[in-house]
Amino acid sequence: MLSPERLALPDYEYLAQRHVLTYMEDAVCQLLENKEDISQYGVARFFTEYFNSVCQGTHILFREFSFIQATPHNRASFLRAFWKCFRTVGKNGDLLTMREYHCLLQLLCPDFPLELTQKAARIVLMDDAMDCLMSFSDFLFAFQIQFYYSEFLESVAAIYQDLLAGKNPNTVIVPTSSSGQHRQRPPLGEASMLEGVEASQFSQCLENLCDRHKYSCPPPALVKEVLSNVQRLTFYGFLVALSKHHGINQALGALPDKGDLMHDPAMDEELERLLAQVPGLVNSATANPEAGCLPSRTPPRVGSPWRPLHHARKVDAESDGSTEETDESET
Amino acid sequence: MIPGKYRSVSGRAANNVEFKLNKETPSFSGRLLQHDLERNYSSRQGDHITLASSSMPSFPILQRSSEEKILYSDRLTLERQKLTVCPIIDGEEHLRLLNFQHNFITRIQNISNLQRLIFLDLYDNQIEEISGLSTLRSLRVLLLGKNRIKKISNLENLKSLDVLDLHGNQITKIENVGHLCDLRVLNLARNLLSHVDNLSGLDSLTELNLRHNQITFVRDVDNLPCLQRLFLSFNNISTFESVCCLADSSSLSDITFDGNPIAQESWYKHTILQNMTQLRQLDMKRVTEEERRMASVAAKKEEEKKRESHKQSLLKEKKRLTINNVARKWDLQQHRISSIAPNQDRKVSDCPQDPSQLRGSTVSAFPEETGSLDSGLTSALQGLSVTDTHLVEVDGDTLSLYGSGALESLDRNWSVQTAGMVTTVSFTFIEFDEIVQVLPKLKIKFPNSLHLKFKETNLVMLQQFNALAQLRRVDQLTVDPQGNPVVNFTLWKYYVLFRLSHFSMQKINGTEVTQNDMIMAERLFGILAHVASSELPQYRLISILGDARKKQFRYLLETKGKKPGLVNEENSDSKRLVGENTNRATLNYTTRDFYNERLEEIKEKKKFCKMYMEDLVKEATEINMKNEALQKLWPQMFIELVRDAVIEIRNKNSYMKLCLQQITDQK
Repeated sequence: MLSPERLALPDYEYLAQRHVLTYMEDAVCQLLENKEDISQYGVARFFTEYFNSVCQGTHILFREFSFIQATPHNRASFLRAFWKCFRTVGKNGDLLTMREYHCLLQLLCPDFPLELTQKAARIVLMDDAMDCLMSFSDFLFAFQIQFYYSEFLESVAAIYQDLLAGKNPNTVIVPTSSSGQHRQRPPLGEASMLEGVEASQFSQCLENLCDRHKYSCPPPALVKEVLSNVQRLTFYGFLVALSKHHGINQALGALPDKGDLMHDPAMDEELERLLAQVPGLVNSATANPEAGCLPSRTPPRVGSPWRPLHHARKVDAESDGSTEETDESET
Repeated sequence: MIPGKYRSVSGRAANNVEFKLNKETPSFSGRLLQHDLERNYSSRQGDHITLASSSMPSFPILQRSSEEKILYSDRLTLERQKLTVCPIIDGEEHLRLLNFQHNFITRIQNISNLQRLIFLDLYDNQIEEISGLSTLRSLRVLLLGKNRIKKISNLENLKSLDVLDLHGNQITKIENVGHLCDLRVLNLARNLLSHVDNLSGLDSLTELNLRHNQITFVRDVDNLPCLQRLFLSFNNISTFESVCCLADSSSLSDITFDGNPIAQESWYKHTILQNMTQLRQLDMKRVTEEERRMASVAAKKEEEKKRESHKQSLLKEKKRLTINNVARKWDLQQHRISSIAPNQDRKVSDCPQDPSQLRGSTVSAFPEETGSLDSGLTSALQGLSVTDTHLVEVDGDTLSLYGSGALESLDRNWSVQTAGMVTTVSFTFIEFDEIVQVLPKLKIKFPNSLHLKFKETNLVMLQQFNALAQLRRVDQLTVDPQGNPVVNFTLWKYYVLFRLSHFSMQKINGTEVTQNDMIMAERLFGILAHVASSELPQYRLISILGDARKKQFRYLLETKGKKPGLVNEENSDSKRLVGENTNRATLNYTTRDFYNERLEEIKEKKKFCKMYMEDLVKEATEINMKNEALQKLWPQMFIELVRDAVIEIRNKNSYMKLCLQQITDQK
């Protein structure tokens, strides 16, 4: 952290690289939106909460898509949150359609765009039969690649198209450009009969891309590894390989390995506790729903919105005279 | 069937002559051979009839002994004589009764000379055509029953005819009887008549027997001024309309309909009695006063029922058209069909009878105009609001809304009784997002609604079910696959059960909710709830919940003003939120429009924040720069400070003087 490189960058660039400003702006924005509520318990408290949640990765829950997409950390947090919440769906073994996965995504982010989910589904299904069912792990890893590296993938797609068309994109590539300097190449007679592009050439282009790209991209070494195993490959074949690569997954750091995908002991424990309450749920329309050990959050009433964060206590909306620790002394 | 008094005549006439034939009747079936006749002459009572040969070889000649002639001068019976032709009857010109019953005669012939004949009986022969009667101008009774006559004809000269019996023939049509103005009895039973008309001219007819035909309708009977008895048993009459002319016949007193389909109807008796008040006997039974009275009562009821059912069918038709119209509009909206002018539907659905009631107005309470009908009928079906574009219907315990315009009807003043009875609310052809906005109103106005049905409401996301959580209680949920893509998802039912677990729903889409379902729902989404409650930062929790409440109260306040009870409702609603599983409370649904609206609002704030942060950053970097600059410069500055100070103090004396000087200067 305290490397001299830090000091090498000018101020704005440093801040921008770490997305500090994004979070600061967002924090201030949130403060503005909820100023009535927050002003009651203190701005300092709010900022603590906010940055804590950024660290924990819970800041993206139920936020708008523009925010979720803003920084790599946000994207990774979102992926992790999605995994956490819907791991049980995967564990249950249900195969769902692309639309249903999109629905689940929308539960966490109401305006998540359909195109991203569609692209992710294309990776899984190899651009074929879009109504097919997909397993949770397949979808999740493909979605990870698509979402986290969206811009990178767009560039790769452009490169791929160029290579297919026979142009050599060894010059500066902007994804939307259609003409660049290119050498005359002999017509690829037999090459056009084969699928995809030559791996080594592709690899070369991607290396150049990674060097230039200001968006995040997968570790170049791993990309090279992926491409070194095959002679030729198609675009979706490449993406599938990316999504299944353990190394890339670990480099991202959002999701556990495929083998461990269904394991989350902490949440499983929580789930068991919730399930234990279910028999009582059937006739508890008026009964005490929180008789268990869930941390309770009563909706804000004027006067004492702050409740202890992790204390388990019975819901008794009237009793304020609990002897447990409260943080109200700080207000 | 010959009327009694005539039958006996022929019976009496039968005792004077018997004319037997040889048993070995030759194969010349139509002819009577002379020698046979001569051989087999016999008579019972010693009359002397001989059949001599005539100049015409085919016809036998009949002769009676003179005693016979004197005894029974005016009557002659030739019953059961196996006659195949009418014999020539000589010297009997004053004959008045002639009986040919039970023979095999095929043609009426050789009687033209008997111009005094009054009574002619040809019952049970093989006559195929009425003919040979044109000279019998005095004929009063003509009995042609049980023959093979196909057509009524050649009766032109028989103007004195009193009784005409044509039963048991093959007659298909009543015709050529209009001149028989003295005819009193006409028997056409057991023929092939399919309808009755052409009766005008029979000014004396009192009895008309039409039993055992195939009659489907009756006309012209009201043109018979004397008709008293009409027998229509065993025909094919099924409605009163087909015999309605009978009502106009004031002379009718006796009628039979038994054996007709009409007699099986429930309304038969009282309809007949009601329409034919002049009747004294129906189906051979006397009509009592009691019966008449009940008939009129029943007829009135019938009338009312008909009116009501007509009205109801009109209403149904209108509803059907409206629903079609709404469906069409919906499809257009969903871009499912290309937009062609839907105006023809509009025109068709205008009901010409009640334009003022239905066009344009959203409220037309039918109960107002059905005061005269049974209360039972009105409560069964109250169509309360029917226009071209939407339909609201309360049917006992179900409130049905078609088309988005129908949602406005929730603002109406519903009677407590009607609103209290409604347990099912059904939405069709309405966008779910629009329904979400009126759910608070629904909660208030229809507190007992426990079953919600959605069809063609564009439910596409699981999230949308979150909106239902704000209701008081839902026992049953029915989401029709038609127009609701969300049903295609594997997990939708579990999500509903999970999100609305505090309702303890009994049924979804008709299937019972089992304990296992609830467990599975919790298993699938329990962690989502946990994350949504305990992992959210506190301020987010507050803001999300606060938003939800604010939205609900906004809808409430938008309804008719603030009622004094509203304050209480706020409190009770917040308590209601406590009752709900709060770990799911943050899972809300904002309609797309509202969401985008909110994002728009936030844009301004975001811009401001950005600028603010930029200013802060600028300030911070400036300060940083200054700090760094200071860091760089500080050693030098410090050295200079020290040097200056040391230089100053080097000369103690002069320094002391300087200080004192400074002090005095200050004063």
